[in-house]
Amino acid sequence: MSAEYGRIPEPFRARYCPLVDDEEAFLSSLGRRLPKSFRVNTLKSSPAAVAERFLVYGIGITPVPWYDDAFVCDNPDAGFSLEHFTGAIYMQELVSMLPPLLIRDILPDARMVLDGCAAPGSKTTQLAALMGNRGTLIANDVSYSRIRALKFNLEKAGALNTVITNRDLCAFTNMQFDAVLLDAPCSAEGTIRKNWEVFDTWSAREVQKYARIQKQLIVKAFDLLAPGGSMVYSTCTFAPEENEAVVDELLKMRPDARLEPITFPGLKASGTVAAWDGVKFSPEVSKAVRIWPHHNDTGGFFLAKVKK
Amino acid sequence: MRRKGSSETISPQDISGKILGYLEERFGLHPDLFKDYRMYLASKGRIYLGPRSAPDMPKIATIGLLIARVNGSVKPSTNLLQVMGRHVTKNDVELTKEQALIFAKGQDVKLSPAQLIPLRDGYILMRYQTFPMGCGLLQLGNVKNQLPKAKRLDLRFI
Repeated sequence: MSAEYGRIPEPFRARYCPLVDDEEAFLSSLGRRLPKSFRVNTLKSSPAAVAERFLVYGIGITPVPWYDDAFVCDNPDAGFSLEHFTGAIYMQELVSMLPPLLIRDILPDARMVLDGCAAPGSKTTQLAALMGNRGTLIANDVSYSRIRALKFNLEKAGALNTVITNRDLCAFTNMQFDAVLLDAPCSAEGTIRKNWEVFDTWSAREVQKYARIQKQLIVKAFDLLAPGGSMVYSTCTFAPEENEAVVDELLKMRPDARLEPITFPGLKASGTVAAWDGVKFSPEVSKAVRIWPHHNDTGGFFLAKVKK
Repeated sequence: MRRKGSSETISPQDISGKILGYLEERFGLHPDLFKDYRMYLASKGRIYLGPRSAPDMPKIATIGLLIARVNGSVKPSTNLLQVMGRHVTKNDVELTKEQALIFAKGQDVKLSPAQLIPLRDGYILMRYQTFPMGCGLLQLGNVKNQLPKAKRLDLRFI
């Protein structure tokens, strides 16, 4: 049992232990270091070419069953490789690679795609790669200070189809997108394995604050979707207020919104929470998925795919 | 001699032609490589290569990728040479492992006489094997490193 195990706040345990299949495995996973992983940037290289180079370096990498471009690499020096220098790989947490994959079938032919909360650009660079640098990808972020990192990462990745905007998504110009990614700002409980400071500011009040913002964002993001378009809503947190309740709110506010089932062959995804705080969610919400940290040795995540 | 900071008043179409001409003449980059994109002229002579259709909307921070600065002459960016480097057919130099490590750190690289033979003074592409690393400025046999500070790295695996 790790030293941090005892530092998990009691209210946190009380909230989430009843939601998981294996309380002990869940809590102990939170104290374990997260394995490092990277994604091959297909704008600059290929998984086979990178794998060959890492073999020569003597750095062990493991393929990821649900994504050909991803590798687990438990050598922190991977960031000092020629591949990282040239932007051929992008150090990225595995679960953070999931949202763009939900719309990967439409991305090669998409004309307009929006990443609503883009900085620092992990998922944006992935979207650009999946679009093959074609079409137009609008990478928006409300925070001016984070735009610089977003720009740096997009340029390093060799993204040519991007437009970076610095706006509050809720006040975004009325446009129509073929696909929208809303990886919403959240209380980030699922990133505890790489950042224990999450617990320093964690509180139920904090969760409520984010939930209010997310409910506004998801409705606006849906309104920006062209008929027939697809949207991904994702967070890296466990709180049902920020996940199921947000999607439930969208379904109430926009009757033309419907969810699509999600499967990732080779990745264990779990069902959603059916009710929380006495509120029962629409059965449609159950098409979304949760990724618990102890199931795939990753961070925690929530994903919903919405169609218009 | 042109004073630093001054720039010509020039239309986006003219700029595009000037950049494409330079890239083809200097590096052998065929204009067709750029046909799916559009060039955008920003302040201080900065040229971005971005999507053909960019929405007309407020609060745009950047469109596409910074490919060059024009201040009388054209200065290609490291990002451009990393993206298009594999199509470059001239004024590129293949570095030894030692030279590549020095270049990645941001230091000036000393080229051998044999490496210098096919190169003309001006901006050159620095390559390691097939991997385009970035931009150098060749002047009278010396190469000045053009790698932006944020990109410099002490490589351990090459």
